[in-house]
Amino acid sequence: MKRVSTRAGLMVALATAGLALAACGGGVNSGSSSSAAAPAESSAAAPASSEAAAPADCGAWSVAMHAWVGYTASAQVLSDVARERLGCDITQTTLDEGATTYDAMEAGTIDVVIEDWGGGRWQEWIDRGAVVELGPGGNIGLIGMFVPQWMCDEYPDITDGANLNEYADLFKTAESGDKGAWLEGPPGYTTIGEKLIEANGLNFKAIYTGSEAALIEALNKGIENKTPVIAYGWEPWYYMANADVCRVNFPANDWSDAAEASGLTDYPELPLIKLASSKLMDSGSPFATLVTNFVWTNEDQNSIAADIEGGMSPEEAAKKWIDAHPEIVAQWLEGTGAS
Amino acid sequence: MELRAVLAKRWVQALLVLIFWVMLATVLKGVQTQELSTQKNSWFTTILRDFASSIRGNRTESPIFVYFFNPIRVGIQSFIETIMGVIAVPAKGDLIPLLGWFGALVLIGFIVYAASTLRMALFSMAMLAICGMLGMWLLTMETLAMTIGSVVLSLVIALPLGVWAGLNDRVMKVLRPWLDLAQVLPTLVYLAPLALFFLIGIASATIATMIYAIPICIRITAHAIKSLREGPIEAARSAGSTTRQILFKVQLPMAKSTIILAVNQTMLAALSFVVIAALIGAPGLGKPVVEALTIRNVGDGVVAGLAVVFLAIMIDRSTSAAVNRDKSGYAAAEAVKVRRRIGLGVFAVVTLFAIYLSRFVLWFAVWPEQLDFGERVAAVANSLSEWITANLELLTVAGSEGFTVWFLNPLQDLLANSPWWLTLIAISLLALILAGRTIGILTFCLLILVMATGLWNDTMVTLAMTLIATGVVVLIGIVLGVWAGRSARVDRVLRPFLDAGQTMPAFVYLVPVLALFGPTRFAAIVLGVVYAAPVVIRLVADGIRKVPKETVEAAVSAGSTNLQVITKVQLPTSRRSILLGVNQGLIFVLAVVVIGGFVGAGGLGYLVIVGQSKPELAGKGLAAGIAIVLLGIILDRIAQGRPQEARPRTR
Repeated sequence: MKRVSTRAGLMVALATAGLALAACGGGVNSGSSSSAAAPAESSAAAPASSEAAAPADCGAWSVAMHAWVGYTASAQVLSDVARERLGCDITQTTLDEGATTYDAMEAGTIDVVIEDWGGGRWQEWIDRGAVVELGPGGNIGLIGMFVPQWMCDEYPDITDGANLNEYADLFKTAESGDKGAWLEGPPGYTTIGEKLIEANGLNFKAIYTGSEAALIEALNKGIENKTPVIAYGWEPWYYMANADVCRVNFPANDWSDAAEASGLTDYPELPLIKLASSKLMDSGSPFATLVTNFVWTNEDQNSIAADIEGGMSPEEAAKKWIDAHPEIVAQWLEGTGAS
Repeated sequence: MELRAVLAKRWVQALLVLIFWVMLATVLKGVQTQELSTQKNSWFTTILRDFASSIRGNRTESPIFVYFFNPIRVGIQSFIETIMGVIAVPAKGDLIPLLGWFGALVLIGFIVYAASTLRMALFSMAMLAICGMLGMWLLTMETLAMTIGSVVLSLVIALPLGVWAGLNDRVMKVLRPWLDLAQVLPTLVYLAPLALFFLIGIASATIATMIYAIPICIRITAHAIKSLREGPIEAARSAGSTTRQILFKVQLPMAKSTIILAVNQTMLAALSFVVIAALIGAPGLGKPVVEALTIRNVGDGVVAGLAVVFLAIMIDRSTSAAVNRDKSGYAAAEAVKVRRRIGLGVFAVVTLFAIYLSRFVLWFAVWPEQLDFGERVAAVANSLSEWITANLELLTVAGSEGFTVWFLNPLQDLLANSPWWLTLIAISLLALILAGRTIGILTFCLLILVMATGLWNDTMVTLAMTLIATGVVVLIGIVLGVWAGRSARVDRVLRPFLDAGQTMPAFVYLVPVLALFGPTRFAAIVLGVVYAAPVVIRLVADGIRKVPKETVEAAVSAGSTNLQVITKVQLPTSRRSILLGVNQGLIFVLAVVVIGGFVGAGGLGYLVIVGQSKPELAGKGLAAGIAIVLLGIILDRIAQGRPQEARPRTR
């Protein structure tokens, strides 16, 4: 026993000495301890330059990062403008969209969602005063059902949803039995697939793919091997931009809330919404003004997303766009006091 | 033979039930299947959804949150963040944590040295350096910090409880059902309720890890105390020691090495949990593995998965070495002790110098780019996965379709597409015949509860996948297990693969499996088989090896062929291990088949996942969690291999 305690004592003594040594300041940390926030994930990267003087005290805020590339483009541009022009301390936090994110906003760990497809499912959080809806960010989302281009070439009338039943047999798989397989989108995404099938009397069975990866693999197989497949897709989506697919159309839509959709009609064009925490909006920070002003188009977002897909880092791609569009950035900064 | 005698045989009864079941199911196909559209709620899931939403609404004001849950959350979070601040996460505006990589590396080496040997210290440092070279230094340290933090908290709770349960049978009796339940609980299930009470983040992830790790620790500790020889304890008692003195001076020191083993197992359990924990906000290596699924980057996932494996090897070896040293250390000669003391002193000075360097010299502070090979490894993994996809695809597509049509669909028709009451009665009868009256009745009651959740159909879909995958696993397990059990060479070749298969998180091979099989139930079955096969192979091989040599030799000298020896002697004698293998296979498969929800397999797993992101389906997610637990208990009880202690764990 005695020897054990000497050993433990030694370890404690050393650890204390080490930490004391470590805590006594100076060293590599002292160089970068200014307010220039290092990117959240890789602190090894060079700190962002903060030459522009902060007009008002911006404060520290957290931007939600969702997995799709279009989102990354928007969030990166927003973060970089806030850091460099307003001197904000921005943390980027990766997490799932939907309830997970709204909960985090209520808990105070997330302040901005720059693009939400949820179509109002955050209402519960707004009612409780945790989340504020800031209106559209300019990007228009469009969901739909897609088949590989070769199918549209071979069966030209397949693009009309009314003719789908004629081809249902083509889509049969071991998964769907005697019906056609209808591949649905990732878990968090708005979907009315089951309603479309039921209301239009389609001889299809909805299969929930469970992840974006599963959806892409299925579409890729359909395109490369020329196997029939019909799958959920959306724009802006980097995969859509390059994939050889075409859309199956249903009559123009009559709904905005998925819960009230009749199922007879197609998905509507969905203005994507910006959300912020009430904490941010009540703070009077110039960042709140910036987020409120943030508006751009699908082309803007896609140009950055394409650069990221092409191998640029999000930071580089965002910088390229910011440098090329000073007038848009200037509009966003109106009322923040930034020069 | 008389008809009555034939009917009394259990397998005849089971067969009769099966025949009636299949006949009725064929006639009544599609009747009263209780299918519930994915987007719709049952009365039960509606209640759960409203419950979840009321909890959400109360989190900021209700006293039970303000005075109970929220303080726990904040406390755990700041505890873990403190540890992270030392080795993993730089403070705001800082470039490095308290210690740069070199300082942390050598400090960990020193701790391992102090607890075991110099060789082990060097080995541990090498393992950590490999994680760094994979470009994963900070993430590895985040995971290590999370692991250390949650293990410390687990030990604080589990060690006293384990000692108490070891001393007092009544305590053990109260604890046992909970320990059993924790062992069959697929981990994906308790994430959603935890996130509801403790929000997404470090605190939830830590508590989830603790729930997973604590039962193991309690079991081993209790076992350690209980299995001590009575002699020394009696001697102490007759010498007039108090119970307290006996505990601290005799029992605890004697059980010490087994208790360190409990620490070892607790750490490994916590580590095997990193990926799942990432689903509710744990930082570290789990993150890239999970993200690899969204952005389809196999390479990054594989690199992070490899880092998990190396970290696991390091933790396993160093804590086992501590156990061994503890067993043998007391007999060391004086000269050895002196030499070691000098060694410790030197190492301590080196450590202090390393910490100094890591604070003031950039190269030792931030992992140098020249030593980062992560991208190259990722590229290799990516091209390997592409090659597999391109070259094996034709084979796999045809195979998976055939398998689904000929095996999976018929079974699913029987279980899910026939009237619910028929399935319920048939399963209960089979349980009654195969496992006795108590378990038959239990099965019946639990199935009624499944019915009450409103997710009967989804549960049966999951059950069909689980049964099929278990069948395949057991088949593979017996073939390879017998082979490895009979030949030491085969065992040596298989072992590294089994080790890697058990530590590599199932998420890593999700994307390649998807690429091969597409979003299908078959993909989920493959996942389950890959994950569960190593355990079953191990158990079967162990069983075969334990068959007495004389028995085998006798059979050989009596002129038996190899096949006869296997089927007539070795397999029957190791029946217990094989039964245990079946039981473990079932539970492991169930845990991973649930993850199949991510790859288009539907069933309960998908509902758990969708419940996390869509508030209107939150109730269905929670209900699916309950149904999985019920299913797990039913399967475990029916396939109960009798030996209860020391069962390996599911993930």
